[in-house]
Amino acid sequence: MSSALDILVEPLASPGVMAAKLWLPFGSACDARDQRGAHDLLASLLSRGCGPYNPKELADVVEGCGAGLRCDAQEDGLLLSLRSTLEDAEQLLPLLGWMVLEPHLAPDQVALEKNLTLQMLQRQREDPFHMAAVAWRGLAFNDGGYGHDPMGVEQDLQNIERQQILPLAQQLPSGRSVLSLAGCLPADIEHRIRAMDGFRGWPQASAEWNAGRLNYGTPAGERIHLESMDTEQVVLMLGQATVPHGHPDDLVLRLLQCHLGVGMSSLLFRRLREEHGVAYEVAVHYPQLMGPAPFVLLAATGMERAELSLQLLLQSWDELCQTTLSQADLTLARAKFIGQLAQARQTCSQRAERRVQLRAMGLRDDHDQSCMEAIASITVDRIQETCQRWFQKPQLSLCGPPESLETLERVWAKRHP
Amino acid sequence: MPNGTRCVAAAMPDAPLTCLDFWCQAGSSSEQPGEEGIAHFLEHMVFKGSHRLAAGAFDEAIEALGGSSNAATGFDDVHFHVLIPPDRAAEALDLLLELVLQPALDPQGFSTERDVVLEEIAQYADQPTEQVLQSILSLGCGDHAYGRPILGRVATLNAMEPSLMRRFHQRRYLGPNCTLALAGPAPETLKPAIAASALADLPGDRNKPSSHQPLPLMLHAGRHTQRVDRLESARILMLWTTAPAHNQDAVMGADLATTLLGEGRRSRLVERLREELQLVESISMDLTALEEGSLITLEVICPEDALPAVEQEINAVLHQVADEAVSEQELRRGYQLVSNSLRYSLESVGHVTGLCASHVLWNRNQDLLSPLNHLSQWSAERLQTELFPALLPEKACVLIARPGANQ
Repeated sequence: MSSALDILVEPLASPGVMAAKLWLPFGSACDARDQRGAHDLLASLLSRGCGPYNPKELADVVEGCGAGLRCDAQEDGLLLSLRSTLEDAEQLLPLLGWMVLEPHLAPDQVALEKNLTLQMLQRQREDPFHMAAVAWRGLAFNDGGYGHDPMGVEQDLQNIERQQILPLAQQLPSGRSVLSLAGCLPADIEHRIRAMDGFRGWPQASAEWNAGRLNYGTPAGERIHLESMDTEQVVLMLGQATVPHGHPDDLVLRLLQCHLGVGMSSLLFRRLREEHGVAYEVAVHYPQLMGPAPFVLLAATGMERAELSLQLLLQSWDELCQTTLSQADLTLARAKFIGQLAQARQTCSQRAERRVQLRAMGLRDDHDQSCMEAIASITVDRIQETCQRWFQKPQLSLCGPPESLETLERVWAKRHP
Repeated sequence: MPNGTRCVAAAMPDAPLTCLDFWCQAGSSSEQPGEEGIAHFLEHMVFKGSHRLAAGAFDEAIEALGGSSNAATGFDDVHFHVLIPPDRAAEALDLLLELVLQPALDPQGFSTERDVVLEEIAQYADQPTEQVLQSILSLGCGDHAYGRPILGRVATLNAMEPSLMRRFHQRRYLGPNCTLALAGPAPETLKPAIAASALADLPGDRNKPSSHQPLPLMLHAGRHTQRVDRLESARILMLWTTAPAHNQDAVMGADLATTLLGEGRRSRLVERLREELQLVESISMDLTALEEGSLITLEVICPEDALPAVEQEINAVLHQVADEAVSEQELRRGYQLVSNSLRYSLESVGHVTGLCASHVLWNRNQDLLSPLNHLSQWSAERLQTELFPALLPEKACVLIARPGANQ
């Protein structure tokens, strides 16, 4: 039987530094319905004492090496990240194993992290972009796994105690995990790492373990959410849940993301910023997820021009289904896609994370290279067909001053009576 | 170059991209009365086209080559950079220099782009954290340029004309004020392209005395309280000034001191206020190295009712490090954190050009790692006698920001 831990190694020339990423298939999408935020809380606790080190000793070891160690809960998994110099790598790598196999989860540390997270959730209410994004998740995924921010929900977090965290921690080694190392690496590390303290007890792959298909969520009945906030601008998020990373339509949507939102030649940038000057921030949010990823157009705009901005966003959205891209736009989108891939391969950390992500998603190691070849055969007709398949029922989240929201709601109501 | 422009290159054989980074001593501190915000506004206008390139043509050309571009304006300088596949770097260099050195500043585009800048200002105004940070800079730096918002103010921007911007460009974008940095697999191959580029045509103006007369940066120490609308947690900000960037020994000492105090769970402030007493959500210290005097900030986020206890504990920690030398173990930890942070930043071409260019632009011709040579000069005793006494709370500008309607 094979180990439940895949190990990937990529030696790279670097200024004497390395990055390690350990991915565990238990993210915020696995949060129980009334425990939203539990996996994020677990993630923050893993670096607060593990194996032979109490929280202070662990911080001493890491900071004493001038290294970085963190663990983040993402929607699809927990990601442990270590960054260190080559000289310190052998001392620090075992920590990643101990964090998974022997986390302490001491009661005082649980209380501290819970309190810090509650304060952070409260502070995030200051940010209109965050509020609009949280509301959009609710519209698109309702009470499913993607329906909440990985950090959780205040009312659930209040009730999460150590006893709820312990079983989540116990199951961490049981899933198919992936460890990726990149950079200046100790000799023969690929073969030695399984024998290192920390990793020695990693279990064999269990035939019983099956990630199964999570309930990522389905759209709520409402298609618009208005979040009132006394701000100067309105944040607008218009989009729809689409496909997982690696889905046959994913590459088409990535090209569309490049066309609409990547760079200063993108459609939204030209239309909203260059032609009308109605927004500073414009973007397309299309994260790489194992489930139905949001494809969301975003803009922030002053009150008096919010109506025009919404109309421009809606126009841009509608055009995707109604008209084909020009060949010139498609050629430009392809060039931007290739440029994006190169930009995402600059640091050891980026390289290690991408390899972990591909393996965790069941995609081939050469997925990105295959995509670079495959984009040549994507036609404008196929792009339009894909848009017609996925862009029929967009949802709109707005956060801003109430008087502006009323106006925008009327614009939306005319379109969706 | 004969006109005083400097070029610097870093070979990074395995980098997938080349970075071309043009820097100019034309940040907000070089603005004159009535020009406040113009350095940043010009950064936007540069991308609206040049004499040869129509609006949008640059972006399209660079992105069609598989590249990307961006720019940033600071207090001291502004920079424009392009990331590009190495084999297209010469073409990109020509486009970048045309755009930056010959901006069209078309009146129609000027008016539309001003609206975009006003939206940027509105976006910052909607982030209470940004408002509080700007408040302490204004309170602490007074009339100095570092106390003014880089984005400028609405009324000043609305009064601006393209001709004013043209004069600013002509005054600041001179050979001796400019540096081009390159990093990538084979930057030396671009040498002929640089020699033949528009950089060579920049006016030298070497003998003219600089029109830029910086005010000395004097900190206005004191304690202030504000109510800030839409703040969900209280903030305490403290600001100190320290040596200018060219005093690398002092800057490295300040970097070490802020690391010992505020970076990581074992740093003095984080350990005491967040880990032990659990009074704050976060506490951090930051050093911004600047040419007319560097800034040290301390930022605390905490519940409003914890403010008195937090302030008292910060004062105790800052006094303690001034009274007793830090341990050798703490010092080693600080050395490691500071030096590795610099090493980690040398991985990407964009970071490397940024470091190279800022050194060369401000006449610090040195290896990228050479600032670390100053670290070992900072013993525990020297920190205690020379640095920590300057970071006492009574020497800071302090802002207590409480949630609530503005008054």
